[in-house]
Amino acid sequence: MPLLSQDEALARARRIVEASPAGETEVTLDGVVDRFVRFADCGPTQSADRERCDVAVRVRVGTPGVDAREARASSGSLDEGALRAALERALALAQASPPDPELAPLGGPVDVAETALQRPTMDHTFREKVRWVEHALARTRERELFPAGLIETSGMTRTIVNSAGRAVHGERSRAAFSLTASSGVDSGLAAGSGFGAAIASNVEDIDPGRVVERATRKAVASRDPVAIEPGEYTVVLEPAAVGALLLFTGYRGFGARELEEKGSFLCGRLGRRAFSAGLSIRDDAAHEVYPGFLFDGEGSPRRRTALVERGELRGPVTDARWAKRLGIANTGHARPQPSARGPAPENLVVAPGDASLEELVAGVERGLLVTQLHCTSMIEPLGLTLTGTTRNGTFLIEDGSLAAPVRNLRFTQSLVEALGRVRRVGREPEVAGAPFSGEIVCPALCIDGFRFTSTTDLRAPALSSRP
Amino acid sequence: MMDAAEIAVDAALAAGADYADARACRTSRESLTLRNGALASARAPDEAGLGVRVLKGGVLGFAAAPATPAEASRVARELGRRAARVAADLAPARGEPVVLAGSEGEVGEYATPVEIDPFRVPLEEKLDLLRSADAALQGAPETVVRLAHLGLRRREQFQASSEGARVHQVLVRSGGGIASTAAAHGQTERRSHPATGGDFRSGGFEHVLSLDLAAHGARVRDEAVALCAADPCPAGRRTLIAGGNPLALQIHESVGHATELDRVLGHEADLAGHSFATVDKLGSFRYGSPIVDLVADSTVPGGLDTRAFDDECVPSGRWHVVAGGILVGYHTSREWAGRLGEARSRAAARAEGWYDPPILRITNLSLEPGEWTLEALIADTEDGAILVDGVKTWSIDERRLNFQFTCEIGREIRGGELGRILRSPTYQGSTPEFWRSCDAICNAQHWALFGITNCAKGNPMQAAEMSHGAAPARFRDVLFVR
Repeated sequence: MPLLSQDEALARARRIVEASPAGETEVTLDGVVDRFVRFADCGPTQSADRERCDVAVRVRVGTPGVDAREARASSGSLDEGALRAALERALALAQASPPDPELAPLGGPVDVAETALQRPTMDHTFREKVRWVEHALARTRERELFPAGLIETSGMTRTIVNSAGRAVHGERSRAAFSLTASSGVDSGLAAGSGFGAAIASNVEDIDPGRVVERATRKAVASRDPVAIEPGEYTVVLEPAAVGALLLFTGYRGFGARELEEKGSFLCGRLGRRAFSAGLSIRDDAAHEVYPGFLFDGEGSPRRRTALVERGELRGPVTDARWAKRLGIANTGHARPQPSARGPAPENLVVAPGDASLEELVAGVERGLLVTQLHCTSMIEPLGLTLTGTTRNGTFLIEDGSLAAPVRNLRFTQSLVEALGRVRRVGREPEVAGAPFSGEIVCPALCIDGFRFTSTTDLRAPALSSRP
Repeated sequence: MMDAAEIAVDAALAAGADYADARACRTSRESLTLRNGALASARAPDEAGLGVRVLKGGVLGFAAAPATPAEASRVARELGRRAARVAADLAPARGEPVVLAGSEGEVGEYATPVEIDPFRVPLEEKLDLLRSADAALQGAPETVVRLAHLGLRRREQFQASSEGARVHQVLVRSGGGIASTAAAHGQTERRSHPATGGDFRSGGFEHVLSLDLAAHGARVRDEAVALCAADPCPAGRRTLIAGGNPLALQIHESVGHATELDRVLGHEADLAGHSFATVDKLGSFRYGSPIVDLVADSTVPGGLDTRAFDDECVPSGRWHVVAGGILVGYHTSREWAGRLGEARSRAAARAEGWYDPPILRITNLSLEPGEWTLEALIADTEDGAILVDGVKTWSIDERRLNFQFTCEIGREIRGGELGRILRSPTYQGSTPEFWRSCDAICNAQHWALFGITNCAKGNPMQAAEMSHGAAPARFRDVLFVR
């Protein structure tokens, strides 16, 4: 039920708009169908076959430019009574709200290309997922590793209709398979672990054997890691690690609001070559391999937007409010309105370079190969100083080869400075995700002078300590 | 809606389930945010749905869908069958079967004690409260962002199981906060009240009123401005006095998550990570100094996870996780209690909502108060020590050992008193070394609950809420970094 066809979704949204007594009304229909299986050494541990919908009504009352004000209410049901109640809540909130002189009229009709659900992803069954689980269990048992993983397939639709004649509808699919394989779980030492993952629109683009092989091979190779001193190292960051860092540029930096409020690394650097010349980043919802919705939270088309061109900082991304305020074009990066947060890119793409992962490693005399990062957070926004730890496979590189697995390290590093020291860019982009921050298409990067500030060891005396 | 939960359970049993439980939930929310005096967000989402969990062939299956009362019976029958079918499809890959500890046929009712129903407070009154808070934040040219917000939620939950459980709970939580961000001298700094992101508790609008947001506006504004001109916190080893807000998050990250038994046993490694606090350490590992007692309590008044039953219909309780500094307990659910040889779950299974299967979560977990007044503790502490408050950012490694916290504000201690303001105090440590260095805890007068509203766990990720109580406490030889 939640995944309505384009015609039905547009018709339902139009009925709500037409029923609204507000001066301006916008209706957003979101639908999700999701199936997942989690697994561990004993096989499937959690699962769900589920669906949900959300119907949001945004209304404006009062006279534009004088005393116009807006609010949003939503319902998790398509039931007519629930929708009427949501409309009434939105109206009550708007009428009680203070005027907002900055409100521009809602946008009118736009052309947005049609998108469609990927049938193989939507039709992927639990029995098919079980075959992937069984393969992961067999390989981890062979290699005496503990598995923990997720297989998930989802379909999403979004429809926005407003009283100014805008009507857009989009569909997208997502399939994901991730596996963390570990040894030493019982002792808390996590003596070796590896990670493999694949995310795609079409489940047929995922090679489960490759995911399992990557995770288990890394877990075996990272057994018995050695301690190394914190300090500055040349690093080869695999795509999962690159994604965990670069997603912060979208979350906190490339948006017009952060720039205007002096909370962005763009401040004082816009138009300058602050990053290495090999680095180019764009926001591209129409990416050929992993597309997003082609319109934003206001139904405006998401423009392909250059954010970094050969190291030169561009942007910012805007929405209707910030485009008007700054007198620049609306790039189509609004969150659902009204929002306390500003516009943000949600489909970051890093242009690939020319080096394979092996070539990136081969070019490093002494450094570290980092598979994945954990719990990365921002200390300050102007230099985009981040901290976090490595996980699931960190290796010392000596003379262009992997010399030894090393224990995990904490880094504290200005991302702006790090991206100014990109030595080389990988040629094999992947879809990488990070909790809370979305997903990005990016290759591996080789960066000089990356600062690690401590090890993550439990010191030996502590383990044997007794009261 | 109880009928729908019962229908779902019956449908699952008819489809061959060995066990089934169902939750029918209706949730109403209201959030208002004033940003620089304008209403940046006014939202009132409402949703209702049904989630059904089935144990069949030793495997758990789950299905969920939206359901208003009018359509709930039809949806319930379908979901019961679908959940059983998922379990049947997955069974061939399952080895050791899932065993749920105990038998939980409880029948009960619970409602959060509420003095002022937050959904009956007129909108105009709520907006007036935020406007007056915003007015108090005004007056400094360096201020670039003023924020005043409140958030309210009411969830009504009907739970039924094939073991005879019938539970009806109405859970209400309320809260809000203010924050000011200033930009000057090349720095951008933020201060918050009463805690970073606000403070939320189970209860009604009386909690929002008790925060007295307007009274703290000028201080928050001035501290944000002062931080822009303040010296950065110096690096090196020194004594730390952690305020209740950062200490609550320290409890959450370094004790709460580390003692979730599913994580300890490796099942959360794919996203959340592992834990160093493995079961071989239970009963003997020195987690903290002898004055450190950490108590889990899903009955504490005002806690965000305070309720009568968890999402598996297990009655709430109170137990020590750390007693006298020794690791003595874990958070468990029915799926995990048996792994410790315990006959009954600690009632820590919760789902974000009807859409999600219950997973093991931290409940309200608090540091027991000590003997000190804050004034006496500061007077007793040597020059150069630093008192920190507010949380700017935090990070902890996947085994919950190596952590780094950056706080909103530091105050240097000189001559037994609070001295200059310090910017971005950042300290690192290893969990047991940190808690073992605790040598003083302030008394109950300084103890308060702090609500966590965005605890993330699971894969796909689910959000949960819980509270952590703490009074300011002193930690020796802590490493501050730049």
